[in-house]
Amino acid sequence: MNLLLILPILLPMVMAMISVLTGLDRARSGMLAVFGALLHLCASGFLLATVVDHQVLVLWMGNWPAPAGICLVADYLSAAMVLITSVIYLAVMVYSGKEITPHQRRSGYYPLMQFLTAAICGAFLTGDLFNLYVWFELILMASFGIMIMENPGSRLTSAVKYVTMNLLSTVFLIMAIGLIYGLTGTLNMADLHEKVAQVDNTALVTGAALLLMMAFAIKSALFPLFFWLPATYHTLPVPVAAFFAGMLTKVGVYALIRLFTLVFVTDVAVTHTLLMVMAVLTMVSGVAAAASQMDIRRILSFHIISQVGYMVLGLAVFTPLALAGTLVYLIHHIIVKANLFLVSGLIQRATGSFDLKQTGGLYQTHGLLSLGFFIPAFSLAGFPPLSGFWAKLLIIYACLEAGHYFLGATAAVVGLMTVFSMIKIWTEAFWKKKALPVDSPVEPLVDIPFQLMGPVLCLCLLTVLIGVFMEPVLKFALVAGEQLMSPHQYVLAVKGGG
Amino acid sequence: MIIALIPLLPLAGSIIPFLFSSRSHHAAAAGCVAGVSLILLLAQAPAVFAGQMPIHSWQWIPAIGLNFAFRISGFGFLVACLILGIGLLIILYARYYLSTEDPMGRFYAYLLLFMGSMLGIVLSENLILLMMFWELTSISSFLLIGFWTHRADARQGARMALIITGGGGFAMLAGFILLGHIVGSFELTDILASKEQVQGHHLYAVTLVLILLGAFTKSAQFPFQFWLPHAMAAPTPVSAYLHSATMVKAGVFMLALMFPVLSGSALWFYLVAPVGLVTLVFAAYMAMFKDDLKGLLAYSTVSHLGLITLLLGLGSPLAAVAAVFHLFNHAMFKAGLFMLSGIIDHEAGTRDMNRLSGLWKYMPVTATLTMAGCAAMAGIPMFNGFLSKEMFLAQTLKPNLFGDQAWIIPLGATLASIFAVAYSIRMIHEVFFNGPATDMDKQPHEPSRGMRLPAEILMALCLLVGIFPAVLAGPMVNAAAQSILGPEMPEFTLSLWHGFNLALAMSAIAIIGGIVVFKFRRYLFDSHIWFSRYCDGKAIFETVTDWLIQSGYRLNQAVFNSSLQRYMALLIISVIVLGSSPFWRSETKFLGTATMTAIDPVTFIMGIILILCALATVITHRNRILSIIMLGTVGLIVSLTFSRFSAPDLALTQISVETVTIILLMMALFMLPRNSPKDSSRYRRQRDVLLAGLAGGGAGALAMGILTRPYETISDFFLAQSVPGGGGTNVVNVILVDFRGFDTLGEITVLAIAGLAIYALLHNFEIEAPQTDALGRPWTSDRFPMILANITRPLLPLALLFSAYIFLRGHNEPGGGFIAGLITAAALILQYIASGIVWTRPRLNFDNHIVMAWGLIVALVTGLCSWVFHYPFLTSTFTYVSWPWIGKFELASAIVFDLGVFLVVVGSVMLILVKLGAVNSPDAQTVSTLAQHHPDLEPEKEMF
Repeated sequence: MNLLLILPILLPMVMAMISVLTGLDRARSGMLAVFGALLHLCASGFLLATVVDHQVLVLWMGNWPAPAGICLVADYLSAAMVLITSVIYLAVMVYSGKEITPHQRRSGYYPLMQFLTAAICGAFLTGDLFNLYVWFELILMASFGIMIMENPGSRLTSAVKYVTMNLLSTVFLIMAIGLIYGLTGTLNMADLHEKVAQVDNTALVTGAALLLMMAFAIKSALFPLFFWLPATYHTLPVPVAAFFAGMLTKVGVYALIRLFTLVFVTDVAVTHTLLMVMAVLTMVSGVAAAASQMDIRRILSFHIISQVGYMVLGLAVFTPLALAGTLVYLIHHIIVKANLFLVSGLIQRATGSFDLKQTGGLYQTHGLLSLGFFIPAFSLAGFPPLSGFWAKLLIIYACLEAGHYFLGATAAVVGLMTVFSMIKIWTEAFWKKKALPVDSPVEPLVDIPFQLMGPVLCLCLLTVLIGVFMEPVLKFALVAGEQLMSPHQYVLAVKGGG
Repeated sequence: MIIALIPLLPLAGSIIPFLFSSRSHHAAAAGCVAGVSLILLLAQAPAVFAGQMPIHSWQWIPAIGLNFAFRISGFGFLVACLILGIGLLIILYARYYLSTEDPMGRFYAYLLLFMGSMLGIVLSENLILLMMFWELTSISSFLLIGFWTHRADARQGARMALIITGGGGFAMLAGFILLGHIVGSFELTDILASKEQVQGHHLYAVTLVLILLGAFTKSAQFPFQFWLPHAMAAPTPVSAYLHSATMVKAGVFMLALMFPVLSGSALWFYLVAPVGLVTLVFAAYMAMFKDDLKGLLAYSTVSHLGLITLLLGLGSPLAAVAAVFHLFNHAMFKAGLFMLSGIIDHEAGTRDMNRLSGLWKYMPVTATLTMAGCAAMAGIPMFNGFLSKEMFLAQTLKPNLFGDQAWIIPLGATLASIFAVAYSIRMIHEVFFNGPATDMDKQPHEPSRGMRLPAEILMALCLLVGIFPAVLAGPMVNAAAQSILGPEMPEFTLSLWHGFNLALAMSAIAIIGGIVVFKFRRYLFDSHIWFSRYCDGKAIFETVTDWLIQSGYRLNQAVFNSSLQRYMALLIISVIVLGSSPFWRSETKFLGTATMTAIDPVTFIMGIILILCALATVITHRNRILSIIMLGTVGLIVSLTFSRFSAPDLALTQISVETVTIILLMMALFMLPRNSPKDSSRYRRQRDVLLAGLAGGGAGALAMGILTRPYETISDFFLAQSVPGGGGTNVVNVILVDFRGFDTLGEITVLAIAGLAIYALLHNFEIEAPQTDALGRPWTSDRFPMILANITRPLLPLALLFSAYIFLRGHNEPGGGFIAGLITAAALILQYIASGIVWTRPRLNFDNHIVMAWGLIVALVTGLCSWVFHYPFLTSTFTYVSWPWIGKFELASAIVFDLGVFLVVVGSVMLILVKLGAVNSPDAQTVSTLAQHHPDLEPEKEMF
């Protein structure tokens, strides 16, 4: 049963091997990838079901005992993140079938995406600080590989920025891990939970914690460390952008949540206040920067930043309800943002451009696509009964309940500005009459193939379903929030299970 | 169940119109859905009139107190009747109003969506549920205003409406959360019963303001009134229904709903009454100057909404009754008037009063109906508008919290009434009389029967209610007011004649004054021009949004200027500031108590060299070759340091990595100019020096702080367990392949992917190596020195043997797969360097991709094998075997894993170096491994 834990990491890795060995230039590698994603979804589903039954699962790699070996741990948060990863992974794999050029396929698109998925799941599941670093490195390398796969000439500038800033983050990360190991003599996070509290020099602990926070803040694109994101995402191929937009920053957010609930809770006044400040500034600056953009993908990129702010805000408020809100927000946002990026690709296919000035008229010609944009966009903007309404409601609720009235107000105002941007895309790309034909290499598509439309509609449906059946989701999230706030269950499972 | 169906039917039924293709079927389908809802609602009438309040509730999300709960209060019943009744008439009207090009199915779908949401607002028992419906009305209103998507004004109007009402909605949501927090429940029944608790709470003021924001924006109260006139870009049925009769009433509905719990305080009065008063007067004034029929009606609507708000703000029970009654009356006459203006627009081709005139001759029935509507709007006796206005005027005369300035309210009320009369007269006069019809696009005529019927019904009702109020409206208004006021319900009678009193006098003044104002309107029009210039809400809204966009733009310019150097500087500054912040006020001593190791001369000199070379790397960075040599020295010293502190494994690894890296850098240098350009200003270099110094110093200080403290680590476990648990005496290697084999698996994957990425990059780039050096001299063709080639060839088997030795002994002595892999790669690369690609590649004929992939597969499969024995992933085992001649030796499963590491290292290093080398040699493409086997394949296919 515990072996389930390794499956979300192993399956994509094995699939990557298989697709390398069976030949990349075959068109069927796409089918194979979809099959692998389906398996992954099943495994993640089982994992989640098992976690719901058993609360916390632990698997020790190589059968070495605590705290020396590396363990994988799945609590509610991890299992949920893995499941949502596999959902997006599946959607993106299906979409890629029609979108990826033979050239990209031959350059190893599928294996790299599979390694990336494995690494993301690894980061969600690991219970070891250094192992987390390894997964982050793998994420960085794989994402860089995918980024420069085609047209390196035009993407290299942004890819170099991406990789340089992320490498800096990795340097901070490894430094912080070294310091923490020096202070406590352990790398296991559950073990750290106990050891960190025993260190007498709190300043050193907080210093190392802040260094870690900065490393993950770069990864999650928090203010003022978010430069890599808007420099990169708008240059990527659509399915890649969707997957990155959905997952990459969220791994950083996950790491922040994990470490700043499980390990570094000794100096909440400093760490979580800092997170709060960064969260607010992130929310505001992201949404403000989006206001002046006219490229759909740039608008969406800046909104990732502002939405990440909400999630970190939930962590900073640091109550079970707020953490539940953060989890709901993560789930909601990953689905919606990945979907919006997929839709942006369809808009470009249907009108020939990502530039809002040149798009238009889709409301009349592409009814289904309009629906496919409308649902995630208004979910992102926080309208009921879609998932985003609950996510925003929970965060605001938690802020107000904890007495942070200013934060609640900011969250509401930023929500309003999100509405503003979404309406901009809606009126410009869908309502407005198309200005002039664009000379684009892509021939405008009248009928969007089902393979592209299907994932979009499925994710839409998921958004609606999560919105309508919020009760089980929230119940789950509240248990997750409780688990995070009082991690004794986690610690017991890891330390006792050696 | 039945109650929940009333709003849910239209919501769910909103897809039904899509199922049909004929216009009449669309309308019929929508009508059926609304009709069934109406019947269900009316079935509740006996209970409501008996003073009961049916409630049905299901739990939805108990964790946040959200129930799927509906109730039918008297007030909710009244408004729901309006929504469904007028809704049905609108469905009929729209069938004839919309043209054949308009997507009818979509229209009715949105209309039903709106109808359901609006019913949800008035029938919700739970505040969060109500909020959901509230936002849904904003969305459906957005979609309906922008129904004619090709019109820019429609798009702008829709956007503005959604942002204003949606923003108000967010504020109200926050207000509701606070309210629920104060009361401890989101159920209306609980909330309405806790007036003292709410008003005594210190958050009362914030809560009130937030909820009022939501209500005022929705009902277009000053200063948010401007969105409503611009929402008139919607098709007229939408204006009549949403933006006059129902949706804009949601705000005042909210005020009335919250009346029992929030009103009665001074704050309530000071917030609500002035807003109502200003809106009432200002909008009535504005309405006089509108040439567009719908614009006039829109401002009139705003003004009447202000009237209702003012009544609720006054706070007396009788005022609340008047508010309910006026809400009811206004919905009827204003919906009718909008429909009539739509008819005029439809049949005469314009609704501009400057162009319209003399229509009486062509459409007398429409004219009569319009006059009836205007009479109700102006408050002429015999019409329903008169009755509620009379009650309103009477209420304004009551003493209020303005004290000595109380006269301002009746004054404002009278003024607004005068304006109302004036604009009503103007509308009749300019459309139907005012000379013959001239400036018309088409011949005006009476509309079709179906289009006029809804207006006829509404106007008949206006007249009938005006004459027999007690019979027709009495019970309903009574029940509605009763449900709001409860025990405070005042005695009142609805009748046409209340006797001579001050209110009647005010009505008379209004009528006479209105006629006078109308007569002398020309003077007013002149003075209005400057006023309209400064009081345009839309312009202010646009200014604010423009400012927002501008500041976003400036933010982009200032922060995201896409200079990587700048980004990095900002990142490092943030980390320095935050990383050092905990120490500013720390009490504990920074350095620990552990004693330093004594410095011996060799270490000291090595340290000095290390520092100097590091500095030299930076200083010489513009001369690339020199800089790389310095960097190489740094690497060498580091590996010497490892040996000095007894870490031979690390030293070996470091030195092999160093070798391979330098080869890589040298190859890359070939493609770069020898000197890099000078690209930083003096100031920036100084800044960077400072930053680098601080960051490096900080990292060093932190390390010192930690190293000078005694600590216990899990290393002890590794040392103790290495031989008994891992079967190897080389702890480093056992850690790599066993204790933390999972990390190593991740790391070799990173290495493999890095290889692939670099390969893909070089492959796609198609860079040509320069044919000449920087001075234009061609490179020498004498490439491969004989001596080197002759020495390296016999060296190869020796080197391979050595690496095999290093590999095999790795588990117990310094060595292992990683180092062996690097040595092998270096030995192979040496052949390429000495003899060239054209000679070497056919002789080293294996595909590095495949080597790498097999390495990963071997490592993975080793891990998976432990599953067969029911152990977790990567569990290792070992045993000792005795063979004749060889003797006793150890077999460990970890060595297979190490083999995987070895293969990945060899594969990826070779992949990168050979590819990079091939770039330098133009004829290297001809000897790529796969090209030999498949000469007809295009080069791209050689990947993996």
